[in-house]
Amino acid sequence: MKVKTIAGALPLGVLWGLPLMAALVLGVVRGVDADAWRALFEHPQLWPALWLSLFTGIAATGLSLLCTLIILAGLYRTRLWNALQPMAAAGLALPHLAFAIGFAFLVAPSGLLARLAVGGTQPPQWSTIQDPWGLALIAALVLKEIPFLLVTGWSALSRGDQAAHLDGQCRAAASLGHGTGSAWLRIVQPQLLSHLRWPLVIVFVYGSTVVDKALVLGPTQPPTLSLVIWNDLNDAETATNLRGLAGAFFMSLALGLMLAASGLMKTFMARLARPLLSAGPSLASAPKRVAAILGGGVVLLSGVVTLLLAVLSVSPRWPYPAIWPPVTGTKAWLSLFATPAPLWTSLALAATTAVVAVLVAIIWFETQDPSRDRYLLVPALFSLAIPQLVIGGGQYGLFLTLGLVGTPTGLFIAHFTPVMAYVAIVLAGPWRGFDNRYMAAARALSSTPLRNVLRIKLPMLKAPLLTAAAVGFGVSMVQFVPAQLAAAGRYSTLPMEAVTLTSGGNRSLTAAYALALAIPPLIVFLAAGLLGRPRWR
Amino acid sequence: MALTLRGVSVSLQGRDIIKAFDLDIASGEIVTLMGASGSGKSTLLSFIAGDLAGPFSARGHIMLDGQSLGSLPPERRHVGRLFQDDLLFPHLTVGENLLFGMPRGERASRISRMEAALADAGLEGMAERPPHTLSGGQRARVALMRALVAEPKAMLLDEPFNKLDMELRGALRAFTFDHLRDQQIPCLMVTHDRSDAPAGGRVLLLKDSMERDD
Repeated sequence: MKVKTIAGALPLGVLWGLPLMAALVLGVVRGVDADAWRALFEHPQLWPALWLSLFTGIAATGLSLLCTLIILAGLYRTRLWNALQPMAAAGLALPHLAFAIGFAFLVAPSGLLARLAVGGTQPPQWSTIQDPWGLALIAALVLKEIPFLLVTGWSALSRGDQAAHLDGQCRAAASLGHGTGSAWLRIVQPQLLSHLRWPLVIVFVYGSTVVDKALVLGPTQPPTLSLVIWNDLNDAETATNLRGLAGAFFMSLALGLMLAASGLMKTFMARLARPLLSAGPSLASAPKRVAAILGGGVVLLSGVVTLLLAVLSVSPRWPYPAIWPPVTGTKAWLSLFATPAPLWTSLALAATTAVVAVLVAIIWFETQDPSRDRYLLVPALFSLAIPQLVIGGGQYGLFLTLGLVGTPTGLFIAHFTPVMAYVAIVLAGPWRGFDNRYMAAARALSSTPLRNVLRIKLPMLKAPLLTAAAVGFGVSMVQFVPAQLAAAGRYSTLPMEAVTLTSGGNRSLTAAYALALAIPPLIVFLAAGLLGRPRWR
Repeated sequence: MALTLRGVSVSLQGRDIIKAFDLDIASGEIVTLMGASGSGKSTLLSFIAGDLAGPFSARGHIMLDGQSLGSLPPERRHVGRLFQDDLLFPHLTVGENLLFGMPRGERASRISRMEAALADAGLEGMAERPPHTLSGGQRARVALMRALVAEPKAMLLDEPFNKLDMELRGALRAFTFDHLRDQQIPCLMVTHDRSDAPAGGRVLLLKDSMERDD
């Protein structure tokens, strides 16, 4: 192996690969403690909590997929198709935690919905948040996962050659007597589903294991398994910590089994559906009206939640049943800026992890053969598809061993791990798709390789580089589980403060923190979009 | 069955590229339409098929056996089409590609029709094969049989032999024309290559102002 190849892989290995692997290995080693597993199986809430977690994960994934497919089917090859991407991307702008906080304000018994629908002097006796079935959590997950799946599906269907092929296939299907709905169901959807496999795994694992959102909206008696584990990992007792770690691995095993079962189910369903694909022409048209209602509903609810957060953040008092706050003021924002440490810590971590991740990715892509990208992308996808509790728990053990708990280094690594994974995934396609004839032309002009990269490649790839940095920034801003464990109370970030505030009574301050989570990534995304525009078009 | 065009005009951003075009194609007749790139040949086919999109607009009457197609969506026109690419559906087997367009009915009889069509195209035993395992010539024949088993009342060929080598091109051309004539399907074919035109058939040349060179 060349020196350049080894040297180019070092930054990624040292900053990301080794800590990730060490955390997982150490997590497994610590998690195989027999006493911890015994204690886990004696936990009275284990089984009900597990079923609840699986139910929320499956329901959220299934409903998100169904709504996404209907919206895509209704809008595919229509004039609204190109408007779908920016609208769905806007739906992604509000982080999960911020959305959960706003959604709780909307549907809570004393929330806006009850004020509009019921009124009276006292809030109704609703159990619309923290309900025993986890329905509020499922609804909030679905509303956030639909935009994610829409963006992923839209990208898969709109990518250069693929888009042209599918368009041609749809025209061929029409010439064979198939209506738009039939062509979608039989031609486009089967090909789309193969692109959605990994995103669906991520949605399912996230929905089944989410902690911060479940703390705001999820059931409490019993809670989801992720919260049982979370409480154990945060306990002062080492034995309870180990039970939490065993719980995290138990949960991973359960999810792995579920994914294997869903793989078998998919094969079975595909076989059952096979005759339907070739059943002959049908004039069924695409569900345009249902798609418009569903898509409009998601946009409307996301808009209302964002607006509600904005109004709440400037409403020191908003008693029930007032539809509009009697007084407004900036007290919550002033209070947020009066204790700026969490904000600055979050911003500093987001900026450094994003910039370092982009640099490390560039070094990797410039020094490695494309065939070696699997050593980066497969672990990156894997790290996103396993529960954060597993990585967080393992990292915590690693940091304890190395004395990094509550240190800036520990906090950086905890944030860097997911940021690097996202940046690599976002950047790989554009970087490897770069037309290298430009570099050949530059080399022919006797320019040095470094100068070629700096003067030709980086400026031409400015847009994806800035997008990758913005994605990294946004991912870092919302880290909760690994960050809280690594910080060990010595540092505080915005998500930590926001989650803590949800259990208190200061809605205005909570809303301000939720918005503070969302606004910086939004600004960074907008800036990336503006700065990334090529000058030569 | 006959395909009739009356007063068909095609415009690109307000400028007519085909003006008041009339054409009658009788049952089993194959008319070849030639012209330079950008002369509107493929656009005319899209207009007939009913899926004209993008910067083009068109007007005029299209009739199939005296019935106007103007207000019908593509899937109700019964106008078959072969494209430059075979556009076989990659997630379906060869047999399923044929069944996809075949009118609904008893499963056993549909399958025997599909197998007969494959045998007719010299593709016996290939029903279970995925399209990507076939050669270019085999794929082109599957695409043709797929279009024919859908029982179209007219056929549009949009440079379907363009990407084939010379030897294969001649064989497939003969195979296609024989089938269209046997089934008495009127056909309009667009091509760049005069040798694609069937012997003795009409050839129309589209020039800048839609002149016809019979």
